[in-house]
Amino acid sequence: MAGMNGLRRNIVLGTGLLVGLVFLGIVAGCDEDLDGAAADQPDLIWSQHGLLNGQLQKPRAMAISADDEIYIVDYTARIQVFTPDGKFLRGWTTPDSQFGRPTGLSFDREGRLLVANTHYYQVLIYSPEGELVDTIGGLEGTPGHGPGEFGLVTDAVQDSQGNYYVAEYGEYDRIQKFNREGEFLTQWGSQGFEPGQFRRPQNLAVDSDDNVWVVDACNHRVQQFDAEGKLLRIWGEKGDAPGQLYYPYDLLFDDAGNLYISEFGNCRVQKFTPDGQSLGLWGHEGRRPGELSQPWALVMDSQGRIHVLDTQNHRVQRIVM
Amino acid sequence: MFGYQLDFEHPAWLLLALLLPVMWWVSLRSLSGLGSVRRWTAILLRTVVMLLLIAALAEAQFVRTSDNVTVFYLLDQSKSIPESQRVAMKRFAREDAFRHRQQGDKVGVIVFGRDAAIEFPPFAADIEIPEDTESVLDPDYTNLSAAINMAEAAFPHDASKRIVIISDGNENLGNVLEQARSVTSHGIGIDVVPIVYQAESEIAIEKVAVPPNVRRGQPFDLRIVVDNTATGDNEARAVTGRLRVTEQTDDVPRTLSEQTVTVQPGKQVFTVPLERDQSNFYRFGAQFIPDDPASDATPENNAASAFTHIRGKGTVLLVEDQENPGEHDYLVERLRSAEIEVQVMPTNQLFTDLGGLQPFDSVVLADVPREYFSTVQIKAMVANTQKLGAGLVMLGGPSSFGAGGWRNTELEKAMPVDFEIKNAKVVPKGALALLMHASEIPQGNYWQIQTAAASIKTLGPEDLCGLVYFNGTEQWLWNHPNGLVEVGENKAKMLKRLSTMTPGDMPDFDPSMQMAVRAFNQVKDAAVKHMIIISDGDPSPPSPGVVKALVDGNISVSTVAIGAHGPANSRVLSDLAADTGGKYYAVNNARALPQIFQKEARRVARPLIYEPEQPFLPQVVSSAHPIVSGIASPLPPTRGYVMTTVKNNPLVEVVVLSPEPATEDSGANNTILATWQYGVGRAIAFTTDAGARWTDLWTNSEMYDKFFTQMIRWSMRPMDDQGNFTVAVDQSDGQGRVFITALDKDDRFIDMLNMTGMVVDPDMEAVDIDIAQTAPGRYVGTFDATKSGNFLVMVNPGGNLPPIRTGLNVPYSDEFRDRQPDVGVLSAMASLVPKGGEPGTFVEVDSNETDLKELLDVNPFRRDLERARSSQDIWYYLLFAAGCLFFFDVFNRRVAVSFAWVAPLVGTVRSRLLGREESRADEEYLDRLRSRKREVSAGLDERRAATRFEPTSDAPQAESEDLAAAIESGSAKKPSGGPAPGKTSGLAPQADAEVESYTDRLLKAKRQVRKGLDEKK
Repeated sequence: MAGMNGLRRNIVLGTGLLVGLVFLGIVAGCDEDLDGAAADQPDLIWSQHGLLNGQLQKPRAMAISADDEIYIVDYTARIQVFTPDGKFLRGWTTPDSQFGRPTGLSFDREGRLLVANTHYYQVLIYSPEGELVDTIGGLEGTPGHGPGEFGLVTDAVQDSQGNYYVAEYGEYDRIQKFNREGEFLTQWGSQGFEPGQFRRPQNLAVDSDDNVWVVDACNHRVQQFDAEGKLLRIWGEKGDAPGQLYYPYDLLFDDAGNLYISEFGNCRVQKFTPDGQSLGLWGHEGRRPGELSQPWALVMDSQGRIHVLDTQNHRVQRIVM
Repeated sequence: MFGYQLDFEHPAWLLLALLLPVMWWVSLRSLSGLGSVRRWTAILLRTVVMLLLIAALAEAQFVRTSDNVTVFYLLDQSKSIPESQRVAMKRFAREDAFRHRQQGDKVGVIVFGRDAAIEFPPFAADIEIPEDTESVLDPDYTNLSAAINMAEAAFPHDASKRIVIISDGNENLGNVLEQARSVTSHGIGIDVVPIVYQAESEIAIEKVAVPPNVRRGQPFDLRIVVDNTATGDNEARAVTGRLRVTEQTDDVPRTLSEQTVTVQPGKQVFTVPLERDQSNFYRFGAQFIPDDPASDATPENNAASAFTHIRGKGTVLLVEDQENPGEHDYLVERLRSAEIEVQVMPTNQLFTDLGGLQPFDSVVLADVPREYFSTVQIKAMVANTQKLGAGLVMLGGPSSFGAGGWRNTELEKAMPVDFEIKNAKVVPKGALALLMHASEIPQGNYWQIQTAAASIKTLGPEDLCGLVYFNGTEQWLWNHPNGLVEVGENKAKMLKRLSTMTPGDMPDFDPSMQMAVRAFNQVKDAAVKHMIIISDGDPSPPSPGVVKALVDGNISVSTVAIGAHGPANSRVLSDLAADTGGKYYAVNNARALPQIFQKEARRVARPLIYEPEQPFLPQVVSSAHPIVSGIASPLPPTRGYVMTTVKNNPLVEVVVLSPEPATEDSGANNTILATWQYGVGRAIAFTTDAGARWTDLWTNSEMYDKFFTQMIRWSMRPMDDQGNFTVAVDQSDGQGRVFITALDKDDRFIDMLNMTGMVVDPDMEAVDIDIAQTAPGRYVGTFDATKSGNFLVMVNPGGNLPPIRTGLNVPYSDEFRDRQPDVGVLSAMASLVPKGGEPGTFVEVDSNETDLKELLDVNPFRRDLERARSSQDIWYYLLFAAGCLFFFDVFNRRVAVSFAWVAPLVGTVRSRLLGREESRADEEYLDRLRSRKREVSAGLDERRAATRFEPTSDAPQAESEDLAAAIESGSAKKPSGGPAPGKTSGLAPQADAEVESYTDRLLKAKRQVRKGLDEKK
């Protein structure tokens, strides 16, 4: 009697224990999965493929205003404005896009939007509301190689003194500097592989010391110049290992002075010290959340979150690196 | 918005629920030993388990019904609808959906002409329809049934479905009513918004009539039937305009007359008397040009034409390369001197279709490359020989045969030789690399695939080909480490691979070109190395290093700048071509691309040309052939020819061979002249030229005239002297009819002829015509003539009579024939009752009222259709649940769960909360436990003591059973009574009493047995 009772109790207890362990195992397993996946998952994915307001068609460039509004230009030459949560606010279209679409956006110190209208060889300047207020350079839609004339313009930025730097590629790869009024000051660079030369300087950034940083896309490297064009630093080589670059297309600085670079070819975002030491990677090629397809651009919002323009996936992924 | 319900696939299984009372009855009896709570719990669990199993057997489904509606607007974009109304219907669809669409409803747009295309897939948002539809349609037809079919296939399943048809209902392909009945039987509703033409006058040239066969010098009348279908208020209005009559013998029409006429409402016939002395195949056209364009709603139906054939001596068409005009003047002059009519046609003024070839009895391609010809033109030349009996002669030269890019064309099939050399020892190979960067032009991927395919098809099996493009990284498409791969057996794979190619936006030319240079440098035995780059010109330019490597490696690069970013122009690309000896093209229309790629790929095909240092003497190997009749072998010295491979076909006759190069396979590649019969015509391959370059020594020889005259004459179609046959063709209701009246020399009817016929339609498709005798000497055949364009009819009268040719021109699509909407069909569709719903709405449209607002009152998103249901099988979930509950049923019966601890716990908690002394209660509880333990131990000890005995074989059976029963009942009762101490304590002494008396009895029995044994002893 006692033996049977004991046996029955043991079975029930054993089963209970087993069920308990399995349950714990499942919970623990799930937890592990979630943790494992969470490392690559974006904080938010916003926008989708389409032609309606708030949707994107091969977006090419992105910029963020001082009041955290994100401006995106896409393959339809629409410039659309979003909140950092991806809510569409407003939009407009560049005057003409038959010959090609803009590939660079940034803000100047007055809060005006600088649009590198690549295939029209000029920089358009818009008010945040979308009113075209000014242009820099340009020869009525034809390329030029003299001072103040442009080839295929990729980006324009402004330093703390109000000077504009404009990058271009094509037959002549160079950076031109203009004063606040748009008058030509100087230029540097030419096409080639040597330090100080460029092959498609795709994007520019000005650091807190007014040095100009250039992502030299087809040379797969980053170059730093002082305000007069003197080469200060050069680093980066072609490859897909950490620390290497493959078609870097955009760069930005965080408050600590580190750089984030979006790599068009490697489909990832890489964080660097100013000396070129890799601090981390995010993303790889694909279409799922946490994966990128030929990202062209990135911006950082006021909360330190990075928005990556996932061009061929027609969306933006918001990440915390 | 959504409703849910449960449904069963096989409800008959639900009858098993009738067994439930049986189960309850059995359970009540078998579980009587359990307490009432557990018993009823068990019965409840079993009931649920059984219900779940029955539901699973009946294949329970979870059915969701949706209140939403999806509406597809079907927009008729065929030409029968004026442009303004085609645009207006897009606006209507947009505004209608905008006004009536509710939350969750979807709207989609399908446009249709000959085919249907989804302009907008069903989308739960307002739609913006551009004025120019993005879908590419053939607007010459209306295929409403295809559009309905497509809508049915594209409807999502989670909403009610309605089609809104906006059309004039004048379908000329398909059967719309049948299709509409089919979809309504599936619950799809149909609303119709008819297109009503605004009242206006309309002029159409209904027909141009001319006798199909006329003798030279015989007067005949050209009759033009003009129809003025003015309606409404304009009924009385006549339309004035110019009637232009044209005549066409080659590709350029010539105006015969132009006169001002007034066309009264109704049909009117204008007659032009004509007479022709020249034998030819004439095409007469008529066009009406109204003085006031507004007086004619549809200008497309204002022209028509007709053929007539004036018999005479034969004519030859000689097609010459536009880049070498006059190259064949000597040949032409010699042929003309031999009374052969020759018309020279440069490649930039080519015939457009099969009709354009009808004046000629033989077509001579005199050293012309393939790229000037469209696929349609090549098909026309082949059909002209195969189906209509004309000759086809290909004269050699550097741009002919395989060297002219004619490999893998229909024309190669028509020739007695193949243009490829399979023996790699004979011909050195070429290598071609393609670099693709044109993704940004409209339909960029399509054109890149077309151009690459055109290039690959131009190459021979021994040639190497590679394609480099950017897709995240620079890569070779064939995924082969060498990049350049032999075309040969890989051609089909290459073409298949092309269809999966999606070139991205290449940032930089340099890496791709370096890859190409490396691949070229690995190929040691290529005689020609060539690269073609297509780009919009915005990648970063190649470095000087790679350009130097190209030059050093003798690799030519041709570049094609395509206008993705404005007019095509790229200095980078033009410099690259100039530096490497290639050619630079600036292309603004992608249609030009395949031709350029064929031409460029031909550079690699150059090794097919055989040009020895010393001239050779071609040998006549078939001296009985009429072409070489009376010509001595060998032929005069010759400097070169294009190598080919003789077709392995008994119809092929090789007439002249080159002794060089000497190979093992008895000159299969050395053909100079070969002929064969192809279909009903004759084809000739002559691989050297006609005196320009390689046979310059022939021109001084007297054999030249004889040889070429005999060659061309042999190829020509036999004269179709029709005797007293008259042939007429006409067209009505999409049917073409051919009438033949057969008379003999004495004008008596010829009966019982076994006539056959064939028609080549505007798409070059040849279809047999069944011709039957309908009256003495009269034969009639019919054929399908729904397409617009030229139909060439060939009638074979049977016997030894030569074939008779004639033609029919269908000037315009039926789209332009019907000028009133087919209200009957449209309203019939609207009145169809969809399954489970209400009939559709036929929107009454006033032809004079074009205000959209009234039309917008009809709400296609109304909820009068069968609600959409989507079901999901859930039987496996039910089975799983039944399994789980069954476990609890077993658990409930086998394991007693006590809740006795609840009351003390509650008491404890209560006393703690109330702050009462609890030690006394604890002590009482412990005392009870100790007392209970003592009782149980005492009982057990006694039982152990009582059962410790030596069993004997003769122990009374019944009593041992009693013991077993006693033990069993004790153990069975114990759980049922629960751990309540009262009951158990009552049980123990009773058991003791039983055990005690039993022992006594046993001892007593034992003593008796021993006593008995002792007595026996």
